[in-house]
Amino acid sequence: MLAQAALTLHDEPLAKTQDSSMTDAVPPTQSEWEQALALVALKRDKTAYAALFNYFAPRLRAFGMRMFGNEQQALEMVQDTLLNVWQKAHLYDASRGCASTWIFTIARNVRFDMLRKKMSRKDDILADDLWADGDYPDMEDEQTERWDIWIVAEKIAPHFDMLPPAQRIVMEKVYLDECTHQQVAEELGVPLGTVKSRIRLALERLREAIDAKHS
Amino acid sequence: MPNTVKHHPSLSVLEQFCEGRLTAEVALVVAAHIDLCPHCQQLQHDIEADLACAWAGEPIAATTDNSAFAAMLQQIVSAEPAPLEAAASSLSKAKSLEFGGQQFLVPRSLQRLAAKRSKWLTLGGIATARLPSGDPHHISLLYISEQTQVPRHTHQGMEMTLVLSGEIEDENGRYVAGDLIVATPDHTHTPRNVKQEPCLCLSVLSAPLTFTEGMTRLLNPLQRFFY
Ligand SMILES: [Zn+2]
Repeated sequence: MLAQAALTLHDEPLAKTQDSSMTDAVPPTQSEWEQALALVALKRDKTAYAALFNYFAPRLRAFGMRMFGNEQQALEMVQDTLLNVWQKAHLYDASRGCASTWIFTIARNVRFDMLRKKMSRKDDILADDLWADGDYPDMEDEQTERWDIWIVAEKIAPHFDMLPPAQRIVMEKVYLDECTHQQVAEELGVPLGTVKSRIRLALERLREAIDAKHS
Repeated sequence: MPNTVKHHPSLSVLEQFCEGRLTAEVALVVAAHIDLCPHCQQLQHDIEADLACAWAGEPIAATTDNSAFAAMLQQIVSAEPAPLEAAASSLSKAKSLEFGGQQFLVPRSLQRLAAKRSKWLTLGGIATARLPSGDPHHISLLYISEQTQVPRHTHQGMEMTLVLSGEIEDENGRYVAGDLIVATPDHTHTPRNVKQEPCLCLSVLSAPLTFTEGMTRLLNPLQRFFY
């Protein structure tokens, strides 16, 4: 839906600022955001950008309000984050993760530097020191499969209650309902990569809990 | 694989790191650990994907006031293209550092700050150089010569030590490059380098150490040396 609009309308004047997600029950998919970012990177496409802006600006403000508890700073963070999205769309690499993850990490970094700047010390620790620009080179995606063999569902299932809800749902579908990762992604409407991430995090958390019990 | 990283920050510390909620100095030690630890690199990637997916999927109340956004959108799309990133920034980075005739590789997260380290202070087989940081946390590089022991001490605050190169051990175990040692108050230990090569660590202290052993107890300067 977004991709189509972006492809056909990209020379039209800016769409009205209106959050399409409010009236639209189905959130746009990650691949639509990826295409929008590609259009911004390649053509400075304002329509594609406006769609991104309209979806993410209210969500960034909500995140900023939670973090700062202050509307003015929240909006400053929104503006700075979305300006980065406009100017640095060419740096987004879809093979490393979702478009929304990229935007979320920009917001986190902007917020971190805003807080440090308020303390106004030169030589300070910056977001760029802490968070590498993109992932590390050799991350493999084999750990979930390896874990599947190591862990017996009956042994870990009783502990699913301790997991955060989003991770618990994924684990129940994979280990109790025996869904494939792809099925879980489709049912929950989240990217396949996020399903795998949630499984790894859940297994890590369970392992931590079990280790703590035994030591 | 005798030298794999075994001592990691907990999942909840990694989560706070990914959200940007940790104190900057603590976050820096975690970042340097991640630079050295493929396991935590994967977890960082996973936590960010998990958090961001939940955040992006949150419904936004239809009643929110979006009046500020129209002007913001116009302002952003009329902004000039981003200035080219200064290519010279690598000049102010220390990709490796030299001490005691030995070269040490510096992890990515520490390269800019390591270039701004203070002068080394040396005491016996131990040397420290502070990195820029603010109260209440002090962050420094700690060099321990081969066959050298750090005097037995206890902590009023928290002490985090990340091995960057070489190897140390204390009463609880053996630590290689990438291993993170977290010592809380009331935890007394005697880190020592028993190897034939020097060891370089990154250390964060939230309060001065208290030395508990023989002569060193009387040596106030030692406290100031470490903090
Ligand atoms: Zn680790």
